[in-house]
Amino acid sequence: MTGIANYVVLSGVLFAIGGIGFLVRRNVLVALMSIEIMLNAVNLLLVAFNRLHAGELTGQLFAFFIIAAEAAEVAVGLAIVLSLFRIKRTVRSDEADLLKN
Amino acid sequence: MDLVASLFPQENFSLIAVILGMPLLGAFVNGVWGRRLGKDAVRLMTLVAVGASFVASIVAFLALAHVVDSSGHKEIVDKVEIVRHDHAKLYWTAWEWMHTSGGREGAVVPIELKFSIDALSGVMMLVVTGVGFLIHLYATSYMAADKAFWRFFAYLNLFIFSMLVLILGDNLPVLFVGWEGVGLCSYLLIGFWYGHLPNAAAGKKAFIANRIGDFGLIVAMFVLVQYTGALDWSGLNSGAQNLLSTADAQQIHLWPIGGGQFQGFLKFLQPEHPFSITPATAVGLMLFLGCTGKSAQIPLYVWLPDAMAGPTPVSALIHAATMVTAGVYLCCRMSFVFVLSPATMATIACTGAATAFLGATIALVQNDIKKVLAYSTISQLGFMFLGVGVGAFTAGFFHVFTHAFFKACMFLGAGSVIHAMHARIHDDEKAQDIRYMGGLRKYMPLTYWTFFVSVLAIAGAPLTAGFFSKDEILYRAFINHNVNPFAEQIHKRSASFAIWEPPQWLGPALFAVGVLAAIMTAFYMFRLLFLTFWGDFRGWTIGRPSLLAKQEKEEHGDDDHPPAGGSQGAHHEEDLSTPGYAPHESPWQMTVPLIILGTLAACAGFLNAGLFHFTPMNHWLEPVFETATKGALKVKEGAHSLEWPLTGAGVAAFLIGSGLAYNWYVMRGGAPAKALAEAQPALYRLVLDKWRIDELYEKTVLAAVDALGDTAASFDQSVVDGVIARLTALIVAALGTILRAFQNGVVHVYATAMVVGLAAFGWFFVAPHPNAAITEKNGDYVIQAGPGMGYAFRWDADNDGKPDSEVFTANDQVKVSMPAGESKTVTLEVVNAFGLTGKKTITVSRPAAPQKLELGQN
Repeated sequence: MTGIANYVVLSGVLFAIGGIGFLVRRNVLVALMSIEIMLNAVNLLLVAFNRLHAGELTGQLFAFFIIAAEAAEVAVGLAIVLSLFRIKRTVRSDEADLLKN
Repeated sequence: MDLVASLFPQENFSLIAVILGMPLLGAFVNGVWGRRLGKDAVRLMTLVAVGASFVASIVAFLALAHVVDSSGHKEIVDKVEIVRHDHAKLYWTAWEWMHTSGGREGAVVPIELKFSIDALSGVMMLVVTGVGFLIHLYATSYMAADKAFWRFFAYLNLFIFSMLVLILGDNLPVLFVGWEGVGLCSYLLIGFWYGHLPNAAAGKKAFIANRIGDFGLIVAMFVLVQYTGALDWSGLNSGAQNLLSTADAQQIHLWPIGGGQFQGFLKFLQPEHPFSITPATAVGLMLFLGCTGKSAQIPLYVWLPDAMAGPTPVSALIHAATMVTAGVYLCCRMSFVFVLSPATMATIACTGAATAFLGATIALVQNDIKKVLAYSTISQLGFMFLGVGVGAFTAGFFHVFTHAFFKACMFLGAGSVIHAMHARIHDDEKAQDIRYMGGLRKYMPLTYWTFFVSVLAIAGAPLTAGFFSKDEILYRAFINHNVNPFAEQIHKRSASFAIWEPPQWLGPALFAVGVLAAIMTAFYMFRLLFLTFWGDFRGWTIGRPSLLAKQEKEEHGDDDHPPAGGSQGAHHEEDLSTPGYAPHESPWQMTVPLIILGTLAACAGFLNAGLFHFTPMNHWLEPVFETATKGALKVKEGAHSLEWPLTGAGVAAFLIGSGLAYNWYVMRGGAPAKALAEAQPALYRLVLDKWRIDELYEKTVLAAVDALGDTAASFDQSVVDGVIARLTALIVAALGTILRAFQNGVVHVYATAMVVGLAAFGWFFVAPHPNAAITEKNGDYVIQAGPGMGYAFRWDADNDGKPDSEVFTANDQVKVSMPAGESKTVTLEVVNAFGLTGKKTITVSRPAAPQKLELGQN
């Protein structure tokens, strides 16, 4: 059985990949995917720590909650991306400046 | 009758709901759907509403008479057997409206939406619904051509409802609702043709003048609930004696305001004898202030003449027959409070007499037929208050009763005349000017005869309604002498308590003024009658729009003059070449009410013919005024022997006034009047301008209010707008300028800001925060470290540069003590779950104890 530290490191790496991806990529779809990666890094951490507390399911339950919230969020996010695409013919976030000025 | 009694028990007489509800329903239906329903439906609705209310009122009145009759019991007074009745009432409680804890010593006073019919309100109710129905009928014809037909009848029905609430309310707050309601309807109907600016201004004037009076009524309510602990009639009646407390603390201190003494440099203001009045006087005067507003007495009468801007049926119903008598009704209703203060009674009587006189003088010279009637109404209201003020409540109220008939009849007659004149002249002002009338009795005989009967009645021709009611008032004014009904008890309780009593000459003086006013009444009324209906028609030569315009053109060579008929002349173009129609009699909807009211004006006086000792009205109202008349009146010696001579004076007033008018205007064609006006031009102008009271108010009251308003406005513009508003706007604008820089619309910047913010939050949780709070007790200081996630602590309390223990512990507090005037330094180290440490140095110093001073030292 691998130690908890490995999971924490993996989770940290995933979170960092997601965060950097969110910051540097201009494609909204990729940004959404980056957010998913970050959320899943957190999920991984929750499930891993849950193993340390035998008989308790709080961490896993939390992970399920997050998955459900994610699904809803993606549905809304994709809808926004779709309507953005209809208006601007692009999914690049730096061109989404409808609110500017 | 038994059926009515079983359906509507005395304590839950729900027929009142029908009386009140029908006009309200009419107002609602006409007001909401009237425009779409069309004129026929509106006419039906409005007449059915008031008619049903009138029928229900008759049934209620008969039921009341039944109850009163069954309460009769025989008594023997002066060896004559007479039947006395209880003050019977029919009640209906809708619901409890609210309650106030403002009673004596914080007692809770319930205020119910309760209505009652007693002898007084029963008669008033019949007058309002009966005369109201006739005037509604009249108005359906008079207003037939008006575009806003539906709106007119919605208002008129709403007025009947409000007036009934005023009359039937069983406590002051409910009465006040009706009081405001009729004021609102009056405002709406005066300004009914609001497109014409003076009409709207007249409505506003009426509303504001009434508001001043309403202030008095509200204050009176506050005082009453404080002193009597009740607001309903029976509660007020039984608690009214509390208004005559002799205790100094219970008096109303007027100067110095609220009692007390002026001190210091204000001492010169302290009077030798502080001026205070009894609560009874305060309440009476405040209630009377309300009455002066609603019933157009000095000093608030100025709105009533302007109120003639409204349609003539409105003038007849609201500004002659019903609403303006609400003040007299209130005085009668609260008679048991008024009689407690002879000073108030004297004020009412004097104001009434003065108003009767002033109104009559102005009416002498007016040329507008409605203005003459308006000032005559003011004058007659003055007579009513004169009656009430001398304690002759029945006589005052009887004049309300008869005045409702003959004045409504005259106004409707005037409306009929204006209707006829307007059909010829098409000029709103000239159609009302009696100088252009004359000879109308040939063309409109029904209007003439009913008007003639009413003129006889108001002038006091023997055996007409006005003769009995007015002479009763004058007779009572002469013989009555008001005294405090509790004077003896007060004297016993506190001998030094001053009790005011009116002087003996007051009664005869009031009588003299009243007779003078009566002479003038007869004169101006017959002047009006002669100028309007007698002689030859003077309207042939005027008001021909095209001819007038042509003449003016020829005379002045000026093309800019509009035709004299104004815009209304335009659609009668075809009349211009012919001499024009003769004035015509009005349709039956207008003449039938005239005939009924004229008949009543002639005959209603016999309901209280005191001269012939036939007084059913007096007998009927006796229980209502029982408390008010007990002990409050001293009738002069030998009063009965004066009855015929004093009546003779009344008849003489009629004969002098009418005879003089006949001599001047019929026999000599108005020449003496003209000569008099030319001989005294300044006086004539002054009276024609209504003594310039309006101008006086404008210069004093209005100017003061304007000045106050200007001050407030300049404060608003300089301080509120200039400083406060601009400063806040400036702050917001500056903040906006700064924040706008961040709102650049680039999503990545937002994302970065979010990440940076989250990182900052993260760092806040990762870094340890050594904080400490210090509490002191008798020189022992406890230093308490602030909590945090996974914190452990290490202290250096002895200040040797090294921690007291090598390991971090959960011990989060340390105690230090020191002598006064010294200080100590403690170092706190914190380590958190990540192994990061933080350090804080805390210096605690104890202040030096204050040195004790030995006695004698220093």
